[in-house]
Amino acid sequence: MKIKQQEPASLQQQTTPMIDVTFQLLTFFMFTLKIVGPEGDFNINMPPPGAGAAKSEVLPDIKVRLVAAADGGLASLRLGERQLGNGPGAFQTLNNEILKLIGRENSARSKEIEVEIDADYQLNFDFVVKAIGACTGRLSPDGKTIIRYVEKIKFAPPKSNPEA
Amino acid sequence: MKFKSPPMPSAEMDMTPMMDLTFQLISFFMMVTNFDQTQVDERVRLPTDTLAKPPEMKVEHELVVNIGFKRDKDGSRIDPLPFVFLPGEELRVPEFKQRLMQEARIYQAKSIKLTDVTVVVRADADVPTGQVQEFIKLSQDAKFEKFALRAQQPTP
Repeated sequence: MKIKQQEPASLQQQTTPMIDVTFQLLTFFMFTLKIVGPEGDFNINMPPPGAGAAKSEVLPDIKVRLVAAADGGLASLRLGERQLGNGPGAFQTLNNEILKLIGRENSARSKEIEVEIDADYQLNFDFVVKAIGACTGRLSPDGKTIIRYVEKIKFAPPKSNPEA
Repeated sequence: MKFKSPPMPSAEMDMTPMMDLTFQLISFFMMVTNFDQTQVDERVRLPTDTLAKPPEMKVEHELVVNIGFKRDKDGSRIDPLPFVFLPGEELRVPEFKQRLMQEARIYQAKSIKLTDVTVVVRADADVPTGQVQEFIKLSQDAKFEKFALRAQQPTP
């Protein structure tokens, strides 16, 4: 008698559930992905009023004044009493002047000296960040490290809203 | 005479290359997804500066606050005053005081000193500086002392 051999059962694994889960994972990562450029922080000193932060007796604060135009733009940038203009070159001039004031990069003075940013209420925040950047220092020629001019930056007491 | 019929070719598709590709895509998305940036709100257009480099050391305790404008599709402001953006909620800057007090209480309940917490201000480039200073004042009232202003590197 001839015995008919049974066909072997398929050894192939059921891949459908794995594919389902994989696609769900892929969809999750695709939807949760946020493309954000590199962001960095500028630290500012803002101890609570009356805290009496240690202040250098020898070195006076460097005062940077930013005057706002009616539209929130920059009307003028001043370092102490000196006008630096309001164009794109004004912040570069501020950067150069700060370097002159501290003497040289990463010096002991750069750790002690403090810059006070005094900006008008209506001034766009962008200009304040540019002023803080100009006071902080510059990038090294390779663009990887920050050469610090000033480490302590603070805000002057807030001005009242002219539209209030 | 009995003819033996040839076995039918398999109708199943070969899934292996597709699975390989899918796993590579998943790996890519897992690598580029930064869960630290979940507090980032895309409505805020950060100011740009070349010195805005990502910090080398991660701050242990940070409270990220997004301040920006509601804008239409063209990017024009719908409301002239900025909002503090929270998940599913928008508050005016003075209205955020209660939340700051609440956050301060949460940190204190976790035995985290408020002097160790950095308040990261992600403010839109067009926000009036006075509003940012008002926010800092409210944070100081809630006993926060360390602040960082966030900026973005300019795109080449």
